[in-house]
Amino acid sequence: MVVAKKNIAIVAVFIAVGFAFYFYKEYHRKPDDISGFQPAEKINFSVIVNGYQNDETIANKKFLGKIIQVSGPITDIIKQQDTIINVFIGDTNSLHKVSCLLDKRNVGSIDKYSKGNDITIKGVCTGFLLDVELNRCVIIDTSKQ
Amino acid sequence: MKNYRLSILFLLLTVDGAAQTKYFTKTGSIIFSSKSSLENIEAVNNKVVSVWDVATGQIELAVLMKGFEFEKALMQEHFNENYVESDKYPKAVFTGVIENSKAISFEKDNVVTVKVDGSLTMHGVTNPVNTTATINVKNGIVQASCSFSIVLADYKIAIPSIVSDKINKTIAIAISIPSFQLLTAK
Repeated sequence: MVVAKKNIAIVAVFIAVGFAFYFYKEYHRKPDDISGFQPAEKINFSVIVNGYQNDETIANKKFLGKIIQVSGPITDIIKQQDTIINVFIGDTNSLHKVSCLLDKRNVGSIDKYSKGNDITIKGVCTGFLLDVELNRCVIIDTSKQ
Repeated sequence: MKNYRLSILFLLLTVDGAAQTKYFTKTGSIIFSSKSSLENIEAVNNKVVSVWDVATGQIELAVLMKGFEFEKALMQEHFNENYVESDKYPKAVFTGVIENSKAISFEKDNVVTVKVDGSLTMHGVTNPVNTTATINVKNGIVQASCSFSIVLADYKIAIPSIVSDKINKTIAIAISIPSFQLLTAK
């Protein structure tokens, strides 16, 4: 009886430690680096920009919160700080573009790009203001695909 | 929120006969922070869109709620799902007027404190916001900064009762526009 109680106590301690470890890990979990994640859509910038211009509600159902891979020419690169870099993809004559905020863990690869270059970027779609907004963006090296 | 897009587009695109100068940015920042005994919460959104018509003083700022980035993923998920309900209320919009914007000289370096009166719409609720902002013109670059506090209950943002005594019910908001771009000048 004493041995059984002792075994139950040991198991209970292990379970408690396991839960504590799980909750600690979960509490301190960082937002995902999406480098290794498959996008829900691989599209040209015009598809998502036109989608949001035509009907924001329908576009949100299709894109919001999902990883979207967008290709097109760079219209601007704005560096607010070394790790806060926005890449704008789209048509220079259009007010609406795709605004890609690079994940601060993946900003280095932007150095080889400049305005007018074609680029492919994937990021999490957060919606539409004047531009379609993608966050936590990663530049895709299309030469490796 | 479609009305917001029409409104900001109107502000961007309308040009009447009078001389007017408009500034805009798509890369402003908002930091909100809350300090409490349970935990300190801080999030940043680096994609603030703003349009400012200097002639009338009218200014608008907007952010996507899903664009707030937290250090911890769980906090970000709770913020979007349980607090601001960002699927239902995807944007926060401030519309207001800078009362003494004509006191600012854009031709020379100067720092001016201006009064801003307007309203903030968030979580489907609109409340008045009255604060001051600092406009800094330096080497032709126009910067702006502003800070104020909001009470979560004023925006019908509920804190779960299990943590309500341990989370600050007032949130400090700091807005920074590192560089306004000139849109039109006649």
